[in-house]
Amino acid sequence: MDRVHRLKSVLWTIIGIAAAVGMTRYIFGLGATTNLTDRVPWGLWIGFDVMGGVALAAGGFVVTAIYYIFRREELHPIVKPAVLTAFLGYLAVAFGLLFDLGLPWNIWHMIIFWNPHSPLFEVGWCVMLYLAVLLLEFSPVPLESFSAWAKIRSFLIKWKLVLVILGISLSTLHQSSLGSLFLLTPYKLHPFWYTPILPILFFISAVYLGLMMASWESLFTTHVYRREKETSLIAHLVGAARWVILLYVIVRFGDLFVRGQLGSLAEINYYTVMFGLEITIVAIVPFILTMIPKVRDSNPGQWFIASFGVFGVVFNRTVTGGLAHLVQDGASRYIPAWTEFIVSAGVVSFMAILFLFFVEHFKVWEQRAADPSVDPEKLPEFDKASNASIGTPLLAGWTKNSLIFISAAAVGLMFMSGKKVASQGIDSTPVSQARGCEVLMVDGNLDGYGVKFPHAEHITRIGSEPEKCTVCHHMNLPGDSQTECSNCHSEMYQSVDAFRHDWHASSDGANISCFKCHDKGKPKDVDSAVECSECHQDLIPAGATIKVDQYNAPGYVDALHIACIRCHETYIDTVANRKIDECSSCHKGAITPENKKFAEIVMTKVKAGKFQITPEIKKDRE
Amino acid sequence: MENWIEFGRGPLFRLCFALMILGLIRTFAFSLFGLIGAYHRAGEKVVPWGDLIKKTFSWLIPIGRIWRARPLYSIISIIWHIGLIIVPLFLAAHVTLWKNSVGFAWFSLPQIWADNLTIVAIISALLLFIGRVSSKEARALSRKQDFWWPPLLALPFFTGYLCSNISLSANGYQVIMLIHLYSANLVMVMIPFTKVAHCVLLPLSQFVSSVGWKFPRGTGEKVMKTLGKDNMKEEIA
Repeated sequence: MDRVHRLKSVLWTIIGIAAAVGMTRYIFGLGATTNLTDRVPWGLWIGFDVMGGVALAAGGFVVTAIYYIFRREELHPIVKPAVLTAFLGYLAVAFGLLFDLGLPWNIWHMIIFWNPHSPLFEVGWCVMLYLAVLLLEFSPVPLESFSAWAKIRSFLIKWKLVLVILGISLSTLHQSSLGSLFLLTPYKLHPFWYTPILPILFFISAVYLGLMMASWESLFTTHVYRREKETSLIAHLVGAARWVILLYVIVRFGDLFVRGQLGSLAEINYYTVMFGLEITIVAIVPFILTMIPKVRDSNPGQWFIASFGVFGVVFNRTVTGGLAHLVQDGASRYIPAWTEFIVSAGVVSFMAILFLFFVEHFKVWEQRAADPSVDPEKLPEFDKASNASIGTPLLAGWTKNSLIFISAAAVGLMFMSGKKVASQGIDSTPVSQARGCEVLMVDGNLDGYGVKFPHAEHITRIGSEPEKCTVCHHMNLPGDSQTECSNCHSEMYQSVDAFRHDWHASSDGANISCFKCHDKGKPKDVDSAVECSECHQDLIPAGATIKVDQYNAPGYVDALHIACIRCHETYIDTVANRKIDECSSCHKGAITPENKKFAEIVMTKVKAGKFQITPEIKKDRE
Repeated sequence: MENWIEFGRGPLFRLCFALMILGLIRTFAFSLFGLIGAYHRAGEKVVPWGDLIKKTFSWLIPIGRIWRARPLYSIISIIWHIGLIIVPLFLAAHVTLWKNSVGFAWFSLPQIWADNLTIVAIISALLLFIGRVSSKEARALSRKQDFWWPPLLALPFFTGYLCSNISLSANGYQVIMLIHLYSANLVMVMIPFTKVAHCVLLPLSQFVSSVGWKFPRGTGEKVMKTLGKDNMKEEIA
């Protein structure tokens, strides 16, 4: 039992430091406690806490499926602990998210404001529902101790199979959808990991991890509580797991082959090393070890196999979630801060403490594990620090652990800098103008995934009278009547000042005096300035449907989405057989291979600084 | 030297302050749990709530108690507590430190008041210490911590006074400031683990003595046995 006490001391130390960091995160924000930036907003807390946590809890659905659906009775001893681990794992995910989300108090928004197109929406709902299912699935165990709840308990047991089936279906959905999340990042995730079948890979590895985690947990608890070892049962589990990982490896390499990435593995760089490391840990070592019967049936061998398997899949999730992301030129690679590691470790430790609490107080195993400090014959002890009696022997464990906790928390606060760190902002992404004649290629950032805009077709449809142009051309440069979008909406994602105050005032630009616009004797602000239209009558054409009020042009992406979608929604009933309000009616993937190639060439030139909008070009345009 | 001062003012202060707050919460929680346990074991379950609350408040503002026994000691003790609590909390320099680090501040004392209160606190600490050492009965009742607390508490007050009157500490300001910081940090760490924890345990202490009288017969002997002090019974007799 000394092992339990030592384990608890370590866990409480970690929880203490993590509590201090967590508090600092809530007072001073993510900037003060993480290495995350606007460029890398998802880090360890998503890669490990959420994706790793959900995967680690896969034991719940895998073991219940084998036991209840496939009726493999020999799994009975590990069903309850597996469900408990799954429940605590999902609790850890929810708990960890409260640290990672920028506005955690808005976490309930997903319940009310639905966005069915988002994979995150599916993941969120599945996790919530599955957490509820797991709670119902596990609650008969603690309810055993409360006779008042007997009726509810027998009801839950009666409906167990339904809950199990619900649990399996929900798990199947969101274990894979966590992979779908990364389908949105084709430019960010390295091609070794970015694949259309990422959801399938996530699901297979989750099943594998479920088996490995159930084994690891059995090994760990039998060691800590000195229980009888479940060696033959674990041999079964890891034996099954090796075929799952074999399937995984076949699918993974087959996918690399199909996508033509297999050859890139021959190079040696950061990504191939990561990939090799991952495959070795997750598949090669456990597979070879499991194939040797002597190792598979021995306790130390099982420790190796299960530890490699568990660490390997968690490593895979962390790599997919951040370490394998491509780095932009000039940006430094994201490496988690120590505070991020300690919070993740703290969340896990807290769940481990809860696990120990449940096995010590309820019948999770056939035999309840007893806390040795709770001995009615034991004499009261004194608080080691204050020499005052603080409670009965029942509290002895708490006396020590609370002292450990507060000391660790104080040490954690000691290391907090407590300084606010501001966001580094987003990079400027200049827009390149739409090219073409009758059909315009709208591809502001030249990535080849733009939209073909049939300009001439729109004119025929709407009409070519000057007042019809104003449906889209809602503001023009002085003297012009068809200024392009990119002239004012010159930033891809950020809003920019379309008025350009400094240009008007500068001797390089319009060179007009302050008092041409501002009233004399008043502070020079918006209120004291004249309307733009007093000088530029032709700036905003008559009948423009899009109103300009602040001369603060939204980003190119936002501006075009707003303009196109609003109009398409208005005309949706007049167009036959076309869903013109859907994304796919304009976005049709990469435009053509040639265009994509062209965009790539242009992009490399932009990156090399050859196509940058220099002051001369700017002046020229003006 | 400057680095050590910064360390004492920053990380070390955070460590000690956190230990003080968390430690006091811990001590309070355990005392409360212990009290509830004692209440369950007590022979009689009736608690005179009104009386308890009245007593607790009369100890919080002990003006009425001054003349009951040892009036001089009582007056000095009250003055000591006033200086002890008010000066560290409302000294303008301390409030500014809080303002600069956490961003909010509160009312602060005029410097002349703070200086005078500090002198009063140091003198009363000295008197209390002399009183304890000179009286035979007090010496017999005292534990070790009763002797070292008054000088330990007086140290940050004394060095603080020197630091806030720069003409007195022109030579060796940094050394004095260092002593001030580190002794004050030590005081904060010691608070929850020694008798000074009475600052949060006060609401419970009247309850303890009330419940204590209602334990079943023979409890005293059991306590002695538990403490391994059976032999003291003969000594008392």
